[in-house]
Amino acid sequence: MEGRGSDAGRGPWALALRRLLRNRLAVVFLGVFLLIVVFVLAAPLWADEVAETGPNQEHTVEQITVDGEKKDVVTPEGKPIGPQWFGAGGKFFLGADGRLGRDEMVRLMYGGRTSLLVGISAALIATLVAIVLGLLAGYFRGWVDSVIARTLDTIWSLPVFLIGLSVGIALAVGGLKIGPLELSSGSLWNPILIISVFTVPYIARPIRGEVLALSEKEFVEAAVAQGAGPSRVMFGEILPNLASTVIVFFTLMIANSMLFEAGLSFLGAGVQPPNSSWGTMITVGVELLRIQPLLAILPGMMIMLTVLSLNIVGDALRDALDPRGKARLDAALQFEAQSGATRPVGEASLS
Amino acid sequence: MTRFIARRLVGMVAVLFAVSVIVFVVFMVLPKQNPAQSLAGKNATPLLVKNIEEEWGFDDPLPQQYLTMMKKVFTGELIQYEPRIPVSDRIVEGIPATFSLTIGAALIWLFFGLLLGYLSAIRAGGWLDRILTGVSIAGISIPVFLLGPVLIYVFANELEIFPNGQYVAFGEDPGEWLNHLILPWITLALLSIGFYSRVVRSNMLDVMNEDYVRTARAKGLSERQVMTRHVLRNSLIPVITLFGLDFGATIAGTAIITESIYSIDGIGLYAAEAVAKFELPPIMGVALYGAFFVVLMNMIVDVVYAYLDPRVRLGESASA
Amino acid sequence: MKKLGALIAVLVLAAVASIGLASCGGGDSADGGDGQKGGILNGTYASFPDFMDPALSYTAEGWSAMAEVYLSLLIYKHAGGEEGSEVVPGLAKEMPKISNGGKTYTLFLRPGLKYSDGTPVKASDFPYSLERMIQLNSPGAPFYLSIEGAEEFAKTKQGPIPGIKTDDKTGEIVINLEGPRGTFVNELGLMFVALLPKGTPIEDLSANPPPATGPYMITKSQPGKGWEYKRNPYWAKANGKAMPELPAGVIDGAKITVVRNDQAQVDDVERGIYDWMQNPPPSSRYAEVKENYEGSQFRVEPAISTYFFWMNTQEPPFDDVKVRQAVNYAVDSRALERIYAGQLVGSHQILPPGMPGHQEFDLYPYDIAKAQELIKEANPSDMDITVWTDSESPNNEAGEYFNEVLKDLGFNTTFKALNADNFATVIGNLSTPDLDAGWANWFQDYPHPNDFFQLLLAGESIQPTNNYNFSQFDDPAINKRITELGREQLGPEQEEAYHLLDEEIMELAPWAPFGTRTLSTFVSDEIDLDSVVFNPTFGHYLSSFEFK
Repeated sequence: MEGRGSDAGRGPWALALRRLLRNRLAVVFLGVFLLIVVFVLAAPLWADEVAETGPNQEHTVEQITVDGEKKDVVTPEGKPIGPQWFGAGGKFFLGADGRLGRDEMVRLMYGGRTSLLVGISAALIATLVAIVLGLLAGYFRGWVDSVIARTLDTIWSLPVFLIGLSVGIALAVGGLKIGPLELSSGSLWNPILIISVFTVPYIARPIRGEVLALSEKEFVEAAVAQGAGPSRVMFGEILPNLASTVIVFFTLMIANSMLFEAGLSFLGAGVQPPNSSWGTMITVGVELLRIQPLLAILPGMMIMLTVLSLNIVGDALRDALDPRGKARLDAALQFEAQSGATRPVGEASLS
Repeated sequence: MTRFIARRLVGMVAVLFAVSVIVFVVFMVLPKQNPAQSLAGKNATPLLVKNIEEEWGFDDPLPQQYLTMMKKVFTGELIQYEPRIPVSDRIVEGIPATFSLTIGAALIWLFFGLLLGYLSAIRAGGWLDRILTGVSIAGISIPVFLLGPVLIYVFANELEIFPNGQYVAFGEDPGEWLNHLILPWITLALLSIGFYSRVVRSNMLDVMNEDYVRTARAKGLSERQVMTRHVLRNSLIPVITLFGLDFGATIAGTAIITESIYSIDGIGLYAAEAVAKFELPPIMGVALYGAFFVVLMNMIVDVVYAYLDPRVRLGESASA
Repeated sequence: MKKLGALIAVLVLAAVASIGLASCGGGDSADGGDGQKGGILNGTYASFPDFMDPALSYTAEGWSAMAEVYLSLLIYKHAGGEEGSEVVPGLAKEMPKISNGGKTYTLFLRPGLKYSDGTPVKASDFPYSLERMIQLNSPGAPFYLSIEGAEEFAKTKQGPIPGIKTDDKTGEIVINLEGPRGTFVNELGLMFVALLPKGTPIEDLSANPPPATGPYMITKSQPGKGWEYKRNPYWAKANGKAMPELPAGVIDGAKITVVRNDQAQVDDVERGIYDWMQNPPPSSRYAEVKENYEGSQFRVEPAISTYFFWMNTQEPPFDDVKVRQAVNYAVDSRALERIYAGQLVGSHQILPPGMPGHQEFDLYPYDIAKAQELIKEANPSDMDITVWTDSESPNNEAGEYFNEVLKDLGFNTTFKALNADNFATVIGNLSTPDLDAGWANWFQDYPHPNDFFQLLLAGESIQPTNNYNFSQFDDPAINKRITELGREQLGPEQEEAYHLLDEEIMELAPWAPFGTRTLSTFVSDEIDLDSVVFNPTFGHYLSSFEFK
């Protein structure tokens, strides 16, 4: 067991990693998240080798042999078969997904790919845009800051869910075509872009605050004095110091985006068939709650576990990367308050 | 202060304008057909479609339609498509339900958020803290539209303790009003309790580590005095501002999913149905109403924050 | 500290006060009585009707809600099943005398009729109501444009319509059409032309329904939330005496609440919180309700409807009849019956059971091998198609099933699901690209076969927007048959001809029809199930509900 004294002389990232690894809860849930990722990546493997069916293949009128007995995949009254585990060789491991007789396990895996893809993409795009906006606003200040801050304000003041819902439905109906840019109505880009747009302010605000605080520090003055141009200062000097904030927010926003996508999909404005996500699976499952509760609980648990893991890991990252980061964040937020800005709308807006 | 308020009012107008334009564009520009076609029904002839277009002004150029609609918003004449009643009537009718749902849930989540956060903070690192943190984070990870139906299934169907939805006006039957709101309150509050307890906890921990708290202890103040005079006050300020913003957002009718699941005749449900039917007038009405509330609460929160936090108040005159 | 404490106290007080104030809205006294006979029925619909105005409503909910409130000159027999498809005199004394080669209809208003506010019913109320309906740009207006001068009126809104002549003294009403129209008798029985007092405002009265002529009247209408019925005092005093065949009704009134969650509706009817739900139980509860309550509280009702997959006959690959026939062979009704959880009865023809002219036949029993053979023979050039469906369950699942069927036949499909309110508008707009094939359904407007053929399969019905001939089917011989038959009054000869038309069209297979939907009656255990009457066009009759 190493003593505390050996911390001296290590780089900040190594120190952060050590702090993170010491947080057992975070390590466990990081593992859970990685397991989930492996689970969804293994989808084609399971589909081809074990279940021998695709996620959209229907077996409504078929029968399978379980322990020698023939059973309906879907009964004539529309009741889907329950989990068979390995009774049929792995087919319908978790049962059928509903009246179309598709393999629930396969759909759970493929649905997870969509959920994670949408969540991660939306968070990534939002983070990148937020970094640029935050840097520009915080460094240049003046009218640049005004325009950016006002725009973020406006997005924040929109009834987020209502607009997201409306745009989602409008896109689902007709898609969008502006010049060379085309979004077809079933495209996954629709929910990704909607979620990104509404996630940007969450991240851009704190980044802006930090940039405002950082740009008054001496090392920035020094760089400018040395003749560095704005982009070098922003991306070379300030950006590296934002790394911890960015990482933490990115992680937390993946979780946020996944929940947002699920909400949109529940009301028909998110992922469109034939794509499916855990959100769309929950919607169908809720309808069949009395007949087969697993159909709602399984995707619900998957979302919960993923979001839970990401939240725990994100929290732990925040503690690990800068134990006094909260104070810095607060200072950044104070800067905003002084300049008469507003603060993020809470998660209640997603309900 | 008055200059501050005046500036924010101007900002509010700008936001409302932006909202109205965005909603209008989404509904009129994105789809490739005009509403007349869906209003004309199963048996439509081109003449009927044309008449409907004339009646509603769908054949006017889009900017003119926007102006006509905005004029109707101000005169209260904004009419929805099916049935053709004023949007403002439906919004006003929906206010009691949405307010009851929101205010009740907000009080619950504020109370429990504070309680759990406080307990977590004073027992930081202990088993209680760990459990409460776990519960909190779990709470914010559940999708509402799964939690709601499960609660309904367990408490309304199996155990038959609570009804499975609908809203009963307070004036009609206060007992039933409460009875019908308990499950929706729990559903809506559960998500935010987790969030708030974590914010309270981390704020309190930060404040408890500050120098002035140590000074107060060193001065010989009892733990209770330290807590009440310094810690709570300073850690609650950001919480209250956050609460104000959340509350504004929820009252703005964005508890759409909760209202839909429990069939609560509020503004959120009205909006959800309007989106499903793809009707622009109700959405415009609800969106403007919503944006107004959000901006109003933002403004109130900033005023309160400035008032409570002397650093900001003093800082305002000193900042550029 | 003091400031903060005071602030919190103020906030809490304000909150409590505002809850109290805000919730004191719209409390009305709930009528709970359930005496012996009589009593107030507590019903529920899953949605508020599109309109609570007889001139405008064009949905099952609306017609069901207003069937016994607003009567037209003719009505549908207050019975279920096939009997309920018969048009009988309503406010008119007798069935119309049709003369002048089918172009002139003469009726007489029964004397002594009154509206629920005491105003006497006059013959001239009929043209007033019809003109009001057209002025409101009602979706029902096109049914009546064959009246002389009606089309001109629809354009200019300048009345009166020359084709309608009335005499208030004798009660005579003479309607002249531009040309003979076999469906006009049915159309006179629709609620669009229910009589309303002259001077009824020309605006949507959904929040404030006009005076009634039927046994019940709507006393309170809260769009989005619900409505209430009470007995029409002038039914007992006047109208009921003039129309003794129509029942006065046992219950004294009804209170209808909109409960959007259909699972909650089922639970509440089971528990007796509501006495009746207007819409059928959702697919996920249907089997359970049927098993537990059939015969005691639940009854299956036929609905005259056809559910089908349409194929665009104007573009490859579906312009080749062999491909369309292959699709018909490839659709398995058994799968669809499961998808609709037993609420669908499989069929492969256009006219559904209950429709005059229906005779069962099946040209395309399920045969996947035959289907694949036909596709190989046809060897279509264009294998990329888009499949459309509406997103309401289980229709979206039917659409997904269809999508897979086409994929199995070798097509490359793009699947699009649209929300129900937009669906018909989008696929009915011929400028929408890639309208290749998709799901659709059609519920009758009235029990006349022309209602199915004219709008959905006649070449002349193809129009650039609001098109319902989704297949864009345009066969000259068939078009001629449809028009000819449409001019004749319906009799056994015509019914046989319609059956043959059904077969002829199915040989050309513009659709792959897959079934007919059933609706249902589900009541609480306090209601006498056997007395409830369900009319295929107008739904459950309030007058037929009785507490046990």
